[in-house]
Amino acid sequence: MSIDPNAVHHVAKLGRLTIDPSEEPRLLSELASILAYVEQLQSLDVSGIEPTSQVGAGTKTPLREDRVVPCDVRDEALEAAPDRDGDYFRVPRVV
Amino acid sequence: MSADLLHASAEAIGRSVVAKERSAAEVAEFFLGRASRTAERLGTYLHRDPERTLDAARAVDRRIAAGETLSPLAGVPVALKDNLCTRGVPTTCGSRILEGYRPPYDAHVVERLREAGAVSTGKTNCDEFAMGSSTENSGYFPTRNPWDLDRVPGGSSGGSAATVAAREAPLALGSDTGGSVRQPAAFCGVVGLKPTYGAVSRYGLVAFASSLDQIGPFARNARDTALLFNAISGRDARDSTSRAEAKPVMLDEVERGAGGLRIGLPRDLIGEGLDPEIGAALDRVARSLEGAGARVLDVSLPHAKYSIATYYLIAPAEASSNLARYDGVRYGIRKPGRDLIDMYGATRGAGFGREVRRRILLGTYALSAGYYDAYYLRAMKVRTLIRKDFSDALARCDAILLPTTPTPAFRLGEKVDDPLAMYLNDIFSIPASLAGVPALSFPAGFSKSALPIGLQLVGRPFEEATLLRIARAWESIEDVTDRVPPLVEDGARA
Amino acid sequence: MSARAETESKRGEALARYETVVGLEVHAQLKTESKIFCGCSTKFGARPNTQVCPVCLGLPGVLPVLNERAVRFAVMTGLAVGAEIAPRSVFARKNYFYPDLPKGYQISQYDRPLCIGGSVEIHAQDAWKRIRLVRIHLEEDAGKSLHPEGREGVDTTRVDLNRAGVPLIEIVSEPDIRSGGEAYDYLVRLKQILVYLDVCDGNMEEGSLRCDANVSVRPRGQTAFGTKTEIKNMNSFRNVERAIAFETERQIGILEEGGRIVQETLLWNADKGTAETMRSKEEAHDYRYFPEPDLLPLDLTPEWIESVRATLPELPHDLRGRIQREFEIPEYDAEVLSETRALATYYEETARRSGNGKLASNWVMTEVNGIRNKTGQSIEEFPIRPDRLGDLVRMIASGTISGKIGKQLFELMLKDPEGPETLVRKHGLLPIDDEASLRAIAREVIAANPGPAAEVRAGKERTFAFLVGQAMKQSRGRAHPEKIQDALKKELEEGA
Repeated sequence: MSIDPNAVHHVAKLGRLTIDPSEEPRLLSELASILAYVEQLQSLDVSGIEPTSQVGAGTKTPLREDRVVPCDVRDEALEAAPDRDGDYFRVPRVV
Repeated sequence: MSADLLHASAEAIGRSVVAKERSAAEVAEFFLGRASRTAERLGTYLHRDPERTLDAARAVDRRIAAGETLSPLAGVPVALKDNLCTRGVPTTCGSRILEGYRPPYDAHVVERLREAGAVSTGKTNCDEFAMGSSTENSGYFPTRNPWDLDRVPGGSSGGSAATVAAREAPLALGSDTGGSVRQPAAFCGVVGLKPTYGAVSRYGLVAFASSLDQIGPFARNARDTALLFNAISGRDARDSTSRAEAKPVMLDEVERGAGGLRIGLPRDLIGEGLDPEIGAALDRVARSLEGAGARVLDVSLPHAKYSIATYYLIAPAEASSNLARYDGVRYGIRKPGRDLIDMYGATRGAGFGREVRRRILLGTYALSAGYYDAYYLRAMKVRTLIRKDFSDALARCDAILLPTTPTPAFRLGEKVDDPLAMYLNDIFSIPASLAGVPALSFPAGFSKSALPIGLQLVGRPFEEATLLRIARAWESIEDVTDRVPPLVEDGARA
Repeated sequence: MSARAETESKRGEALARYETVVGLEVHAQLKTESKIFCGCSTKFGARPNTQVCPVCLGLPGVLPVLNERAVRFAVMTGLAVGAEIAPRSVFARKNYFYPDLPKGYQISQYDRPLCIGGSVEIHAQDAWKRIRLVRIHLEEDAGKSLHPEGREGVDTTRVDLNRAGVPLIEIVSEPDIRSGGEAYDYLVRLKQILVYLDVCDGNMEEGSLRCDANVSVRPRGQTAFGTKTEIKNMNSFRNVERAIAFETERQIGILEEGGRIVQETLLWNADKGTAETMRSKEEAHDYRYFPEPDLLPLDLTPEWIESVRATLPELPHDLRGRIQREFEIPEYDAEVLSETRALATYYEETARRSGNGKLASNWVMTEVNGIRNKTGQSIEEFPIRPDRLGDLVRMIASGTISGKIGKQLFELMLKDPEGPETLVRKHGLLPIDDEASLRAIAREVIAANPGPAAEVRAGKERTFAFLVGQAMKQSRGRAHPEKIQDALKKELEEGA
């Protein structure tokens, strides 16, 4: 099973990943083999089966009281920023 | 004294510290000394800070001197996998994208351990963002198996498993998503537990696959594993998926022996491809437990063979979303770009290694329009089938016994170029992760080439005690917990 | 016909041939103390990046925990619009990259929202019309990006995450709206419901209420929908109305020339009065929704839902109907007086105290609101409370004082906290109601106005009002309104 390179490029864009042309052939073949492997799931009959997205579903939903909890990480967090402008995080322009 | 500490269990160390037979500082010094001789060669740590470790130990001694009652882990060194957030201490998850990152908060389990008086020995190496089965995917360097330096320790928690095996620390924490605690435990000859999903708070565990991740203890024997599990488990309001049902494991429960327990063997899952020595170990353990009064029966897990395919759709899908936050905006590295999108691409391209990028692509694909139903949704449904297999089987037995891995530790570089081959190693560990049930790997002996062999027990939700009880029963029949890796021991004498 | 008039006429004909179809998506910020998934404050206007914590910053390792009051407010809204509250609803991740979206995904709800259906009644073309809702769901707000536009020499975007994590409800209507005017009314009434419930401030200018419009047109009589465009960036109800009108014309113009509508997102430019294609052409969004694994499904029991229903205040529609019936006032009055719950309460207390619902209504709508429009005071701040106003209105209704004196008293009462009866005495505003004085005034007025007096004697009744007016003027409003009429009549008869 081979995989459409355009599909992979599209998916890379969605995931904000760049694919180096030198690694592209290898990557395509690896993805193709993995996808071929997972195809085996198509042979199973899953009609009427509920999907499990959380094994804990069904337990009482934990809810938090609406209360302000002071937090002091602000300075540490801004210091960790790769680029900042005073109180703000700074990034290259969006477009 | 040093010989004592080399062989002492965490339980004994804690007891002696509380009884003031030795100080926490002495204990810390001993283990820091061992690590200073072996950590570099083994590649167990990404970050160590001996001064900080000693300070923490001295703080414990002060608390004891002040008359404070501490937990059984008082003064016991514990290594922490580098995907656990430690305030002010580098936390990279084995990735270059978080190089230099210091979280401004501690993970729940880190807070619990500090409260208990345990002492961190540092941050252990792991596969990048916990994705891998060999620790070769670390963005920094690989970790070596203390039993054979040319072999992998397993992954993704390779550093934590190896540091316990090499006796650089008596205890460690790792994380297990598809086997990342159990498999390295098996490769390194130590005990590794993946708790029931929800038993241990994930607050502060850097997420890989949110519906599968669990933090798990490494130790050299069952009782120590129980103590560490008790120190970290229980409901945390900051994790909406953490459960109140988690209860501490009582040590006298662990000592009850195997008599009266029903142990299931899933013959349909254990097929060809299993290393014959591991197969032999499985038979030997099963017979020994029978001899100790357990009843062994066959159980069936008909859908377990679809586990790998199921897991390698669900986990990468969740991971692709969890790793979107590494965008160079607020923390971590940033590579320059013409504009924002360029910056994102450059940062993530440079910061993420190959396996992570592969999984993000795979996961994004599985969730994308037109593919969601066939891939992610279908995988979630198969997951339901696998869960049901386990609850059916565990209605007929108290624990399932099966291999942890198909082979003992493989060589460095052996599987790194074939991702699918690497994934296929997880055939025995993934099913329990998908079902959310507790699973334990325990040492069952050594291969003819002196490599550890580990076997696995899987139990009902929140019945970690039963698994530890069986592992303890096996220990009292055949104790393999005291062998010290010879290579490391040689090195240690230098 | 001039060329221009002809164009206008053609345009009008074209518009009449088509029907506008509009659906609105409204995002309302919920007035909780803390954010939806963490304990940070939601207060507006704080210094940038001061209301943040590891969770809303999206740091590695953090997890969301759902705010109980956010759920409560969302359920209240659903109940108020008659929606069905789902016993189980599921949170989902909406994945996309943007600098003010810290996790790289927004926690929202996708195929299993909290509320389904419901409706909002609007008043359009003198009739009530029901605008159906598709759904209401909970989600978290993103932070704020400050782009370089308008900043000299700046090529970067600044990010403030104070707003990231503030709870939102998204209210989606069916495409039942047929004009900008209807959209305006829908927004006014939806906001009113939210403010009545006290779940949202409803302030578009401050961003606590946001609206996107989906607009399409179709030839009248056609049931199939035309291609729709999405319009964003409208920052007031009026702008929503204007944008819809603009887009309607634009689309009709294209269709009339044989063109086709391109499905796209447009940004409203309020200064230019036009909707423009967004410059940054993002690839078609694939949000890759999947159930949020860090949150359990939200399960609500019927008992809990009913307990929330029991806390609902009287809603605008019901309150309007009730005061109309109870105080025998026209629908128009009821509308104005029920604009806010506080105003309605003010009116009700005044009406009861005064014993005259219609008169009380006039006074609140005209005099009270008149002052408030000038001063900007809220009804809670207004210095004349219902007890004093009620007493004043009662005095007028019973004929004790004239309306004119009433107005004088009202002015005094704005500054002087005393009651009207006290003030009447204090300022010598007592009505003149003794026979002798009134007769004297009447004689003076008749003497000063012989012509009109003669007309009245001759039978021209309408001129009598003029004489009454003169008498009121003469007495500076103090003449008792009914008694002065008697006095005039008697003097006219006797003096004849």
